Amino acid sequence: MATTTNVFGAYNAHQDESKQAQWRADKWMIGGTLLMGTGVLGIFGLPLFFYGLWLQMQAAKAGLSVRPLIVTLIGYLVIIDSSLNSLGWAMDLFANHSLINRVLTSGWGAVFDGGYFWHYNELKMGPYTIGGAGAPGEKAWEISLILACFCPRLAAAIGLLQMKRWGQQWLIVTCWMGLIVWIGYNLNMTFYADVRYANITFPVWGWWIYDIFYITPFLALPYLHTVNREIFTD
Amino acid sequence: MSKKIVSEQDRRRKKAMIVFQVLLYSYLLGLFLFQLHLYSLSDW
Repeated sequence: MATTTNVFGAYNAHQDESKQAQWRADKWMIGGTLLMGTGVLGIFGLPLFFYGLWLQMQAAKAGLSVRPLIVTLIGYLVIIDSSLNSLGWAMDLFANHSLINRVLTSGWGAVFDGGYFWHYNELKMGPYTIGGAGAPGEKAWEISLILACFCPRLAAAIGLLQMKRWGQQWLIVTCWMGLIVWIGYNLNMTFYADVRYANITFPVWGWWIYDIFYITPFLALPYLHTVNREIFTD
Repeated sequence: MSKKIVSEQDRRRKKAMIVFQVLLYSYLLGLFLFQLHLYSLSDW
């Protein structure tokens, strides 16, 4: 009986220690991700994130039960991806006359995507002034993807990081949405290439180099579909 | 027996994911090349 108590005592202590180590690492990674998710402050977030990642790897090396590295990387990458898209597009929708948006978004547009530069803040819908990007179809993509894709995706990534089954399942759902996003959005860009790529600093290849990092869904899908789902709890 | 079925299912699933990845990246590369083609024809 005493032995049983000792065994469970050691198990509980190990569990507690693991939980603490995971939370300690997560605090740094969450801080770093929040900064990176803003876009502008990204450079300050990266070292914080790496420090948290290092802490988690050290804990794993010490034999503690922490989250698998691949889950950590996918989860945080998806959070950054969703935040950047949601925040950037929300600013283009609702804060398109703010100084930060006029400098950064239209500055970015001048270099990579004319849809965010030419006639910026001139969009009207009937008598209503909308502002922001005036490229054909862009506003519809912004609204539909923030609502139906990136916000659920953000929640799914948080669930995944908590090792919840719903997090894994919803991440799979929103990763497949990524297929529609990439096929549809890029076709729209191609059909209106004259608007998007005319007279900007780096036409075509600039956009692709900048945006190819958003293919996270396709990189994550093989793992999400083949992982042993029992490691995620109901 | 059931282990064998699962591993067979896993094997097919992995294969399907590889095919999907190849098709998707080919599509993206194709679109990129087509945009470059448009670029070569225009005065951007």
